[in-house]
This record gives sequence, C-alpha cells and structure tokens, in this order.
Amino acid sequence: MNEGTPVFKSWSTAWLLLLPTVVILVIFLYYPALQSFVLSTYRSNLILGTRRFIGLDNFRQLFTGILAPMYRQVVLQSIVFSASVVILGLIVSLAFAMLANQKVTGSRVYRLLLIWPFALSPAIAGTIFSFLFNPQVGEVNQVLSRVLGIAPRWLDNPLLAFGLVVGAAIWKELGYNVVFYLAALQNIPGELSEAAAIDGANAWQRFRAVTLPLLSPMTFFLVFTNLAYAFFEVFGLIDILTKGGPVGPSALHLDNAGLTTTMIYRLYQDGFGGNGSLGFAGAQGVILLLLVGLITVLQFRYGGRNVHYGGG
Amino acid sequence: MKRTVILFSLLAMLGSMALAQTKIDFFEAFSTQRLQWIQDRAAEWNKQNPNYEIVVTPKASYREVLNAAVLGARQGNPPALVQLFEVGSQQAKDSGLFIPVGKIPGNFDTSDYIKPVLDYYTIDGTVNSIPFNSSNAVMFVNDAMMKKAGLDPANPPKTYSDVVNDCAALRAAGDTQDSCMTFPLHSWFFEQWMAEQNAPLVNNDNGRGGRATKVLLTSQPALNIVNWIKELNDKGYYTYTGKLENWNGSEAIFTEGKAMFHIDSTSEVNAITKAGKDGGWGATTAELPIADNAPREGVVIGGASLWIAKGVPQDVQQAARDFALYMTNTQNMISWHKLTGYFPVRISSVNQLDKEGWFRDNPNYAVAFQQLLNTKSSPATAGALMGPFPQVRTIIEEAIQKVLNGASVDSAMGQAEKLADQALQQYNSNFQ
Amino acid sequence: MAARTASAVAPVRSQRRPRTRWLIHILLILSCLIVTGPILFAIIKATQTTAQVLSPSMIPGTELWHNIKTAWQSADLGIYMRNSLIIAFAVTLGKTVLSLMAGMALVYFRIPFKPIVFGFILLTLMMPTQVLIVGLFDLVSKQAPPTWVALLSWITNPLAPTPYGFNWSNSYWAIIVPFLASATGVFLFRQHFMSIPLSLADAAKIDGAGPMRFLLSILVPMSTNTIGALAVIQFVYVWNQYLWPLVIIRRTDRQVVQVGLNLIISTGQDTEWGLVMAGAILALIPPLIVFMLLQEQFMRGFALSAEK
Repeated sequence: MNEGTPVFKSWSTAWLLLLPTVVILVIFLYYPALQSFVLSTYRSNLILGTRRFIGLDNFRQLFTGILAPMYRQVVLQSIVFSASVVILGLIVSLAFAMLANQKVTGSRVYRLLLIWPFALSPAIAGTIFSFLFNPQVGEVNQVLSRVLGIAPRWLDNPLLAFGLVVGAAIWKELGYNVVFYLAALQNIPGELSEAAAIDGANAWQRFRAVTLPLLSPMTFFLVFTNLAYAFFEVFGLIDILTKGGPVGPSALHLDNAGLTTTMIYRLYQDGFGGNGSLGFAGAQGVILLLLVGLITVLQFRYGGRNVHYGGG
Repeated sequence: MKRTVILFSLLAMLGSMALAQTKIDFFEAFSTQRLQWIQDRAAEWNKQNPNYEIVVTPKASYREVLNAAVLGARQGNPPALVQLFEVGSQQAKDSGLFIPVGKIPGNFDTSDYIKPVLDYYTIDGTVNSIPFNSSNAVMFVNDAMMKKAGLDPANPPKTYSDVVNDCAALRAAGDTQDSCMTFPLHSWFFEQWMAEQNAPLVNNDNGRGGRATKVLLTSQPALNIVNWIKELNDKGYYTYTGKLENWNGSEAIFTEGKAMFHIDSTSEVNAITKAGKDGGWGATTAELPIADNAPREGVVIGGASLWIAKGVPQDVQQAARDFALYMTNTQNMISWHKLTGYFPVRISSVNQLDKEGWFRDNPNYAVAFQQLLNTKSSPATAGALMGPFPQVRTIIEEAIQKVLNGASVDSAMGQAEKLADQALQQYNSNFQ
Repeated sequence: MAARTASAVAPVRSQRRPRTRWLIHILLILSCLIVTGPILFAIIKATQTTAQVLSPSMIPGTELWHNIKTAWQSADLGIYMRNSLIIAFAVTLGKTVLSLMAGMALVYFRIPFKPIVFGFILLTLMMPTQVLIVGLFDLVSKQAPPTWVALLSWITNPLAPTPYGFNWSNSYWAIIVPFLASATGVFLFRQHFMSIPLSLADAAKIDGAGPMRFLLSILVPMSTNTIGALAVIQFVYVWNQYLWPLVIIRRTDRQVVQVGLNLIISTGQDTEWGLVMAGAILALIPPLIVFMLLQEQFMRGFALSAEK
C-alpha cells in the first residue's frame, strides 16, 4: 500500500491543490463554529435581538441549577441512543451484508432493494413511521392485534417510543452501512475462510477468527460515521416522530425531559424552537462537540489497537 | 419603420418604469387550500394596486414564520407583513421589529371587530395587529355512541363531573373498546380551562397590566384541571397519541369513530362534521365542559394575527395594512370562514351570515359562536401575555404528561411552576 | 490475493445444498420486506384520499394522478425539485473536484505537518449544521464590507459578532458555496489514492508528466468508482438538506425540495396526507435515478483496504 511517499516536489502546487478545500472549510465551517463558541458565553436572544456577555453562566445553568436534571437526562439519553444506534445498527447491517453477499440468483436485485432507503429524507421517513406506528390506527398495530392480540403504545409509552426512534434511525442508515460492509466483505479472499474450514473450524469460529478481524478497518470507519449520524443527524426524524417526547417514567427518575430528546434536539429547541436563546443553545453545542470529540478520541485510542489491516 | 420601433421601445421602457413595483413580502403559515385562498386575495389586491406586489411565502409553522421574520430583520430586509401566532404577541412587541397597526398613519377603524378577539391583540390600549384567523376550543360529540351509552346527545356534559359520569355510563353500557374522551395534549386547552374559571395564567393581570413574573401553575384552578385529566386517565377514559400537541392524531381517533367526546379547535368543525356524516354516526358540537362550580367566564382566542414590520418605508407599511384590511374585510371573512371554519372576526360578517341563515343550517358553528360571544371581558379571558410562552407551553404539556405517566399532580405542577418561573426570569433578564 | 481463486480446495459455496439456498432466499426476501416496507406503504398511501390515508386501509385508491398533479403544480413541487437539482449537481461537481485536488495533494506531495492538515480537514466532520447555523447565517446573509478597511478590521477581529457577510440571501450561492468542500470526499480519495501502487506515479514522473497530467490522465480514470460512489452520497446529502435552506432561503422561487415538501404538511389540521405521500414519492425519484445510474460505482467505490 502506498503510504504517501511524496512523488511530486512542488510545494506551491500542493498548496494550490489544497487551497480551495481549506479556504471553504475555514470560512464556512471553522469561522461559524468559532462564532458559536463565542456566542455560548453570551445571553443572546434571537427574537429580541439582544446580546450580553455573561461568561460561563450558560454552562453553569446547564450543570447546576434548576435545568441541570433535565440536561443530565438529555446527555444520558443521547449517549444511550447513539450507542444503541451504532451497535445494533452495525450488527444488523453486517448481517444483511453477509446475506446479500451470498452467491444466489437475483443477488443484484436483493442488494439494490436493501440499500436504497438511505436516499430517503429523515423527515419523510419520520412521517411514514409515524403513520405506521400510530397506536390507534397504524398498520403495524392492526397486524399485531390480529396476529398476537397486542397493540403496543408505540408513541405513548416513553420506552417504546425510544425504541421506535432507535429502530427508525437504524433503518434509515441501513443502506449506507450495508454498502460499506458489502464492499469490505467482497474484498475478503475466500481461501482464508476455506483454509480455516479445512482446519476444522465451524462457521461461527471462522466468522470470529477470519471475517471479523478482516472487517475491522471498515467497522472502525462505520462506527465513526454512525456516531456522527446518531449524534448530529437524527434531528429531523425525532422532530416528526415524537417531537422529543414523551416524558420518561418518573419511577426511573427520567421524567425531567422527553425520553427521545437528544442533545441536538434540545439544542435546536432552545435556539430555534420559539425561545430564541441563542447563547444557551450555543453552550449546548459546545458541550455536544466536546462529548463527540471525546468519544472519537477514545475510539481512535482503543479501537485503533483492534484494527487489523492487510489481508493479502 | 425605424421611428415606430424607437417610439415603441421608448413607450415600453416608460411603461415598465411606471410599473416599477415594490414587493411586499407576506410570510404566513398556511399551505395548500388556505394558502391558495390567500394567494387569490393577494392577486386581486395586486391588480387594484399596480405599484405594489404582495409576495406570499408559506412557512412550515408559526414558529418558522417568527424565526424567518426575525432573521429577515437581522439581515436588514424584514418582511413587511407577517402572520404571527397569538402566543408570540409579547415576543413580537418586545422585539421592536413591528409597528402597532394602530400607530400607522391613516384610517384604521376597529369598531367592527368582535370584542374578545380585539381584546387579545390590544396591549396597553394600542391595537398591535390585525386579527385574521381566530378560533376557540369546542367539544365534539359522537351522537351514535352517546345514544348507545344510554345518553342524550342533545344533553352533552357541562362540567368535569358530568364527563366522568357519562364515561362511566359508556363503560356500563358494555363498550370497553372505545375511548370516552380524547384531545391533543396541548397547553391551549389548559389555558381555555383556566379562563373559564376566571383564573389568570400569569400574574400582573395575566401579563397585561405589567410584565409577567410568575406563572400560576399551582393555583387551585390549575390543579382542578390537571386533577380532572388525571382522573380521566386513571379510569381509562382518556386517550391520546403520546405525542405532544398532536392535533391530527387525536382528531383521527375521533373521526375514526373510536371516541365519544373530542375537544378540538373550531377551525375543524367542517372536517369533523363531514367525517361524522360520512361515518354515519353524526358529530355535534357542545360547549367546553368546565370545572365544577366554575363561573363559565368564557374562552380565549387562539389562532394568529397580522403584524406589520417597522423596518420598511411608511408607504409600504400603509400598503401592507391596506392589503391586510382587504383580506379581512366583511365579504372575505365570510368566505374565509366558510372555507376554513375560523371565526369571521367582524361583527358585520357575523350579522350577514346570520341573515343568510348560515347558523341555522350549520348548528355546529352556532354553538361555537355562542361560546365566544358569551365570553365576559376580563384579564383571564383576554388571554395571557408572556415572553417565553412557547417554552412555558411545553413545560405545562410535559407536566401533564408526567401526571399521565403516574406522577402526583402536586409535584408535577410544582416542578412545572419552578421551571416556568425560571423561563420567565431568563426572558425578563434580557431587559436589564 | 483475491486473484488466486482457483485454489486446491474444492470451493464449498457453489455446492450449497438446496435447503440452505432456500433459507438464504427467504431471509433475503424478509430483509428486503422490512427494509422496503415503509416505501411500499408510502406508494400505496399516495394513491389514496386524505381520509383513506388516515385510516389503516392498505387498499390502493384512485387518487394517484390527482395527488401527483396537485403536488407538482399547486404545491410548487416542480419548482422546488428544479432548484434542488441545480444545487445538487453544482455541489456534487464542486465537491468532487475540490476533494480530488486535496486528496492528491495529501498523497503525492510533501507537505509540512501533513497529519495536522489532514486532521484539520477531518475535524469538520464533527461540525453539524445545527451548531453552526447562527454564525453561518450571519456570514452568508449580511451586507458586504463597504471598504477594504472594514474588511481588514473584520478579519483581524474574528471573535466579534459577524459584522459583514456575502449578501447571498435567497440565492443559489448561499446553498452551494458553503458546501463545496468535503471532508468525507478528501478522506475517501486519499484512501483510494493510497491503495494505488506507487509504481504508477513513479512511471508517470519518469515520463515527464507533471502533477496535473498525472491527475487528469491517470488518477481520475482509475478513480471512477470512488467518484461515482462519492457522487451518490453527496447528491443524496444535498437533496435531503433541510435546516440550512429553511433558514437562508426567503422565497418560493429558490426554495429546495425538502423544505417545500414539509410545507405540504399544513399548520392547520387540513393536511392532505395523500398529497404528502405523493410528494414524498416524487421527491424520492431523482436520488433513486442517480443511485441506479451509478450503482456499479457505488457498490465498488468503497473498498477501504486492498484494492480491486
């Protein structure tokens, strides 16, 4: 593998090639991010147009004071939510990918059908799911009540609603994950598996000893992208499906916020949901970025050790 | 030949200069049919006023309209005419971005407006915005189901206890599948029930005598409301979809014939009456059931009104107001009412409809109207004014949801009051 | 490597017993149903009237043509889709070009602090629009600095609230330019270039080819899979954008498809749900077409380790 040994010596060409990307990123991503960081130390109201420096007061409010239990719950929920989406999502995607990798007739069609939902927008996915899972008149409950005699309160019950949002988020990202895993699976040479089979390993042992390690670079990459997806991009889905609710069960001390309110949702609610508390939302943004950054660093440290490159 | 061409092009140029139109942006929250109606009115007005062009832009929700208007002002280009929801009134006034319509030079006659509606949008004696789409809460009844429960649809429940008794009758008659009562878990209904008990939602004369500093969520009237909802829920009479503010969900439950009573907005009278007819069970309307021993003070206006921006030239302000008044004139309000079910906010419109026999032919509307016209004028029924109203609504809704999930009413409402007071304090601190 | 398929051991797979083959087919069909179920649902609902959509009925109705026509004309979906198409093509093209260039620079040139530069680019993957939105809005929509002095004072004072901007409100520029750079694209191209044998680059250099010729006549033809795969992802990303266009586009004539689609879900309770479903299906077609056209590239373009 080409480890990037420089072939061309011209520095000016190198910078010229990098310049457009770097310029755009600095102007349109880093600068607004900087502004957002600065804004987090202000009390700024979008609708009133006010702006006053208050130092770390926004952060203080999030961690102590009357809103702290709510925020603690939101952070906890976000972590649990993202972990579920990543872990369950990758397991399911790998299973689908392995199925789709089998050499059977029509595999091309199967692959196409398994992958395309990722083209759906989160809002539309949310709308469709909210119809399907409506506790009274949704199709899923119609079928379940006829077959199993139960009609779970999907959107009523906080725990079920949480599960539903996790499921919808996984469903939407399936196509993306399956494609990547499929590509990785097709890159695994068949002989390794067969050699293990000759040595007497059964299917599960072959999977653990051969397939999984060879998939690890792809898994590593997908964990990263799915984490970003779960923390940042599920906003539209939540907004349509549950609007961040319902409030969690008091018995579990989860009643300080809606159970499906993740950090990005709370952030948007505070900023653009009618209150216009931009500084407060900005502070939440800072914390969100720090949290995801921390998780990523941990992932690189710990996960990097378990990634096996090579395979041929 | 050449001279004709030059002359012609000169004339064309002059003509287009004379028609140099000022575009007036109108941000509003409706789409599909209602948007089409508004666009038709805009087209009519544009033809009569060739120097201006009203450009109607739909936004996804009332919150989006406010955000878009504020963002537009932030970049120096505010939309001249904006449709803002009623609970955004304090924010709109505080933002300094809008000019009270009463203060724009020119003729603005308010005598034709229905008093409760005008009261809502009058702050400190000045009329801030032009009422447009106004509605109340009203109860819908499934006639067939009531009869099956051994009850008389012409005698709907009037108080909380009546509702509980009627629900018990439904169960006693053998119906254990359907719900008795459904309504969206929306703070709007809470506010209506506060007004009916003549109880203000916030202090300082419901925010109208001075800036509100406390939200009165642990007052006895407030607790009455939540206790009743809890009772309905505990006895299995109440249902909703689990999502806050889910109008469609609860309406669907009723129009599918799965609930006996339904509380909704008067703007849904058309749709629900039709569903009742199509379903064969018949839907009639009734006054809101209220707390036992409550004085039935009246209901609070819901909906939206039209605000005019300060940051545009005076002639544009006047043109915007002129269009707003045209869109809400007597005839147009009648056509709007017939299309959507929102109240025709002008007394002249109501009188004309009455003369046409409209209320006789549509008794469901008559009930809703009576409820509005019987409203007594007081700070409680004028509607609460506070800055963080949207946030406080969510706090109230989540508190009720907590109660539905098993928390005690006192602890949930107590916590809600603390959170709401804090939100008020945060908002007010922007003015120090 | 994978080329050595003719191994000594009898390949187990092609002699799969019929029972296992049937099991795989059944599992695949089930998986496809779970995955595509919701869309089939939407397609059927798009043919119904509003009342039918709200009921649990799954019987196809007769309203499909009416719903599609209304969505296209009255709900302006045609205008929104046109805008989205223009923007999606522009952004996809831009991202591909910029990422190709950056990826090449990172792999074939010597750059000081290369890991830091690469990290700097990758870090932007963790900057979601929701967090950036206020700063980005001010930056894109405010008036341009009137003098050079103003511009200078702005640049030297990055922590002050954004005083000036690009004045691109309600224009295509506002949605295109901020998204022309792509960390994902840079990452994927870099990954791909690193898997190309060094010998090719050396040979080109010996032949006297400059970096641009190398890029255009050798790298690009070898990267069609990655380019195609990236194009699909970027197109879908731009097509599904909601929050940024919502905030920066004022009027209908420049609005994009997701915002427009959301408008059909009305504020009042008179939403015509059949229309919403029809609109959703319509809005799904362009990304699907792009996906089907580039399917081969998409499937092959994501090998992260050893090359094909």
